[in-house]
Amino acid sequence: MSTTATPTPTVQPKEYRSELKPIWCPGCGDYGVLQAIYRALAALGRPPHEIAFVSGIGCSSRIPGYTTAYGFNSVHGRALPIAQGIKIANPDLLVLVAGGDGDGFSIGGGHLAHAVRRNLDLTYVVMDNQIYGLTKGQLSPTSPRGLKSVTSPFGSFEDPINPLLHMLGYGCRFVAQGTPADMAGLTAVIEEAIRYPGFAFVNVQSPCVTFGEPEQQLRAHKEGMQPLSALGHDQSDRLKAMALAQEYGRALHTGVFYRQADPPPTYEALLRERQRKLAAGAPPPEKILDLFVQRIEGRG
Amino acid sequence: MPVPDIDFARLTLRDALDLAILIEEEAQERYLEFAHQMEIHHTPEAGGFFVFMAQKEARHGEELRARRKRLFEGQLSAVTRAMLWDVEAPDYDEARAFMTPRQAMQTALRAEEKAHGFFVAALPWIGDSEVKRLFEELRDEEVHHQDLVKQELAKLPPDPGVGPEDFVDEPVGH
Repeated sequence: MSTTATPTPTVQPKEYRSELKPIWCPGCGDYGVLQAIYRALAALGRPPHEIAFVSGIGCSSRIPGYTTAYGFNSVHGRALPIAQGIKIANPDLLVLVAGGDGDGFSIGGGHLAHAVRRNLDLTYVVMDNQIYGLTKGQLSPTSPRGLKSVTSPFGSFEDPINPLLHMLGYGCRFVAQGTPADMAGLTAVIEEAIRYPGFAFVNVQSPCVTFGEPEQQLRAHKEGMQPLSALGHDQSDRLKAMALAQEYGRALHTGVFYRQADPPPTYEALLRERQRKLAAGAPPPEKILDLFVQRIEGRG
Repeated sequence: MPVPDIDFARLTLRDALDLAILIEEEAQERYLEFAHQMEIHHTPEAGGFFVFMAQKEARHGEELRARRKRLFEGQLSAVTRAMLWDVEAPDYDEARAFMTPRQAMQTALRAEEKAHGFFVAALPWIGDSEVKRLFEELRDEEVHHQDLVKQELAKLPPDPGVGPEDFVDEPVGH
């Protein structure tokens, strides 16, 4: 820590904390994720009124309500389309999207590929607990094979979706993973994802304390997590990132898997540019009605 | 315990006091969060203890703030919350539904031990003699806090060896 420089954070983490108190189960991983988001936003220094936070449905999707940013706790699986609409309508807003693994990879799974390929400047934080917790413990798309749940009382036959590989496969330009067992690391990846100029994805292994398996809990994360930085991982190597992502479910790697160094312009930047060009060649607004009337009268 | 990315060798007394204040603030906030969690999950006894701990952290924070004001009034701070995580605040996964007062106190005790470990680990790296004295004082204060929690633990009836968790139904999903 430098004692000569004087950091002047313009916004404190507590300024993002709303009056509404979380009702998650005590010990839930989402408490840590929320704290990490507060701190990442404070580090960025964007005031709450410049931020929109969109979610779907589920335990983790309650998160926008616990912030002082603009929030939209929307429809199950539809957080990404709504967030894209918000970003297109107001590109100056910092738009965060959050939800669970069921919301993102099952109900809303069809939106992922399109959100990635459109490449709006959004940050999508998935709180992956490998179970539907809010509805009392059914199999989710990331539940491990063999998991016993109310919908698989003798063990699941299904392979889980691998969120990291999924997003890398779609061509996502920023893919990271964190856990509330490492709050500093989680805050850092969320902050980096927000700073990334384009669609960024952060998978957070956020345990369900009520229905989750013991090996998925934070205590196990603390003992077993492997920061990618310690492995000497090159963030610009997509193939290496995919190889490491294959270990999802077997190893808990934390940090940035992939970060495209030269991202193309975002959708909203291209859209603004096109609007500017078209507007430059457009008739003045006060003439538009006259031109329209001339055209329908066959004079134009 | 891991020492955060702080250059203790260059820490001034002003920054050390600010750091200590932030540590107390973080712990106070976490205990209040835990108290709320207990309240909404119908565990008022554990919640009450967490409120007690929050008040204790608040008092200590106030003392440090008064000292900081006396010595460095008007001077800007060079430390932020981003420089520390959970030094004295109990980890989020320490909270559980249906915590008994004993479990709540044991959680607080572990948090105080963690804070003590932080100051012990930092002390060898500190260069400034005033900062060293402050950190020694804070280290000893954590021992005092541990004693306070132990006193509260001693007031409890003998541990029956079972808690509410032993009587609740398994989650429906299991």
